[in-house]
Amino acid sequence: MSTSTTRPASGAGRQEPDGPTPTESRARPSAPRDVAARRAALRDRLASGGFLAPAVLLVGALLLAPFAATLWRSFSDDHRNPGFAGLDNYTLFFTNENLVRSVENTLMWVAGTVILPCALGLAIACMTDATRWSRFARLCVVAPYALSGAAVAVVWNFVLSSDGALNQLVAALGFDPPSQGWLLEWPGNTVVLILANTWQATGVAVILFLVGLQGIAPETLEAASLDGASPWQRFRHVVLPQLRPVSIIVIGMSLANGLKSFDLIWVLTRGGPGRSTETLAVSMYQETFLLQHEGAGAAIAVVLTLIVLAASWLYLRRQLDAKGD
Amino acid sequence: MRSFDTARTGSPPGFDRRRLLLAAGAGAAGLAVTGCARGDSTAAVPGAVSISTDNGSWDDGYRKAGDALKPLTGYRLRPLSNPEAISYKQVTQMTLQTSRACDLIKWGAGYELKSLARGGELSDLSRLWDRYEKKGWVRGSQRASMAYRGKVYGVPLYESHYVVFYNKRLFARLGLRPPATWDELKHCAAVLKRAGVVPFVATQFGNWPAYEWFQELISKIDPDFYRALMAGRARYTDDVPRQALDIWQDFMRKGWMTPPDYDQSNGAAGLKAGRIGMFLHGTWAAQGFTEVGMRPGKDYDAFLMPTVTKGAEKSVITESAVLAVPRSATRHEAGMASAGNWLAPSVQRVWTDFLGDGSANPVVRAGNPVVAEVKETVARERVTRLIRYGEASPPNLVQGNTQDIAAFMTQQSSPADTLRSMDERATDEWAAWKRDES
Repeated sequence: MSTSTTRPASGAGRQEPDGPTPTESRARPSAPRDVAARRAALRDRLASGGFLAPAVLLVGALLLAPFAATLWRSFSDDHRNPGFAGLDNYTLFFTNENLVRSVENTLMWVAGTVILPCALGLAIACMTDATRWSRFARLCVVAPYALSGAAVAVVWNFVLSSDGALNQLVAALGFDPPSQGWLLEWPGNTVVLILANTWQATGVAVILFLVGLQGIAPETLEAASLDGASPWQRFRHVVLPQLRPVSIIVIGMSLANGLKSFDLIWVLTRGGPGRSTETLAVSMYQETFLLQHEGAGAAIAVVLTLIVLAASWLYLRRQLDAKGD
Repeated sequence: MRSFDTARTGSPPGFDRRRLLLAAGAGAAGLAVTGCARGDSTAAVPGAVSISTDNGSWDDGYRKAGDALKPLTGYRLRPLSNPEAISYKQVTQMTLQTSRACDLIKWGAGYELKSLARGGELSDLSRLWDRYEKKGWVRGSQRASMAYRGKVYGVPLYESHYVVFYNKRLFARLGLRPPATWDELKHCAAVLKRAGVVPFVATQFGNWPAYEWFQELISKIDPDFYRALMAGRARYTDDVPRQALDIWQDFMRKGWMTPPDYDQSNGAAGLKAGRIGMFLHGTWAAQGFTEVGMRPGKDYDAFLMPTVTKGAEKSVITESAVLAVPRSATRHEAGMASAGNWLAPSVQRVWTDFLGDGSANPVVRAGNPVVAEVKETVARERVTRLIRYGEASPPNLVQGNTQDIAAFMTQQSSPADTLRSMDERATDEWAAWKRDES
């Protein structure tokens, strides 16, 4: 990075207010000009501050202040008149089996939402990039992305309930439907939810990968062909490296989506049966609004926020630094 | 920064930008002011009382009841519904802390009402209640589920009983009659199962229906124990709940219950088509049977579930939502007047005809003959009314335990593990409730 080149400049800047340098004291006649320059600089700073202020105020009022309040609440108990509870709400992550299950489910969701939509998105984008029916195929894959999570959940409920379309299809084909419904038994129900989410989320990955594919210079592929590279080698060594910037975005988005997954789960199962399909986002809602355990809900929100920030920072720092090189 | 300098010189592009920024700033300020402004949905409307409800499909019923109220109070009803139950609770609780709450709110009875009343945001309706009692328009036994620390905070909106609806024609075809004993009930189930019909609806779909069979089985084994359990004086790990879950598990293993993800809203159609034989539900379900074209008394009928234990006191699970008047109601006096006349027979006839369910006023006969017969049976045979599980204990306890029952229904949790978990929660939540009370 270029920090080594910027530091001396900023250091010099910091010395300015300390008083006139020997050179400046010798050049007293130019003092009015200095004052004018300082006034101009001050005006510029005020103007910059004025432009920044709305954004800073909005972020402060709508994001940072609520986060600070949530952080404070997470150290309180859930009595009618809340008192200080120390780390009690955070120890629930080790002692409460529902929260342990919720963490497990969240990890499954993260793995599922990163691997499946990315792999499928890449495969579909590559396969439909240059075929005759590519537009239609792409439309079929991308269309679910336009639906809201709640609508997708309603559709999948028709499919997945015990007397739903999938079991009827299984029976029509002469097989026995599973004795327990698709959404009733852990961990199968979480896997099914992730697959339903994949159906919806793959569309955006396809779009982004298609954009990436269209940005690849055909000359590079031609050169590889002339060098005798097989199709797989061309894909592995020419296409994939050039898709790296897009892949970073797709994986980063999928990571965040996996960690904050809520709507599909809530509409399809409400986190149940019992609390078997809850992710941390659902547990946060459940504890805060249904069970009125606001301290516990706040602790989950804080932990979830830290996980999202840490995962995003670790991933993006590594990827973007590498790209920067 | 050069561009700022240009702007300061007053050149046309800079001037345009300044105007643009000014306009954008004014627009944003306008939006902010509008956003911070108080909404007018709860503002007073001449001649109308606003009523906040969680069921949009009842809006017509409230309007009709409001027309019947007008000659008595001078006000109609203006329903403001939020159809999502969880969102409704949150919004209503927040609205109560403002200076412009609705004039009337629909709420749950029992501990749902107590937890709202102890916040001091509801009006004391004890005088209205006393007047109702003098007129014989309420039963004295209802008072406990509407009161907190001796004061009444709600007026019953309706009165539903949990009964077993059955397909009359199907029963006749299979040579069955409504069971009077537990053995007869099991015989009906066995015959229905042999005929390819699922005998009972039991589901955790939508969460709360999970406790329907739980409350029914415990109260039919020992109604006194049910009362003690609901009041925190008995334990979930005692023999009665264990017996209830064993019976339930046996029914599930025999294939007598619908899958746990069965959608109850399909229950009426399932009963009509003969896919299911019996449907344990509140009497409000009668409206659904009418909607699918079943005639009360001819195509469907209902019976009280027989007691599991021979000689046990007859009981029926009863549910009444309540009408409460917020202290910060926009038109408080109008809200009080409406609550004070809600149980008038002229209003209740219109209301229960719309609902197809029973009135909380004992002198008003239900329009639906099946529901009317249930209520007459309950009165004639002096059947003990027990408050529904959903309102009988602190809300947090009910919420968590209902999820445990759902896990049991999907066989993810054994009866012993389920009851242990429910018992642990009961210990914690009762302690929390009592601590908050003190």
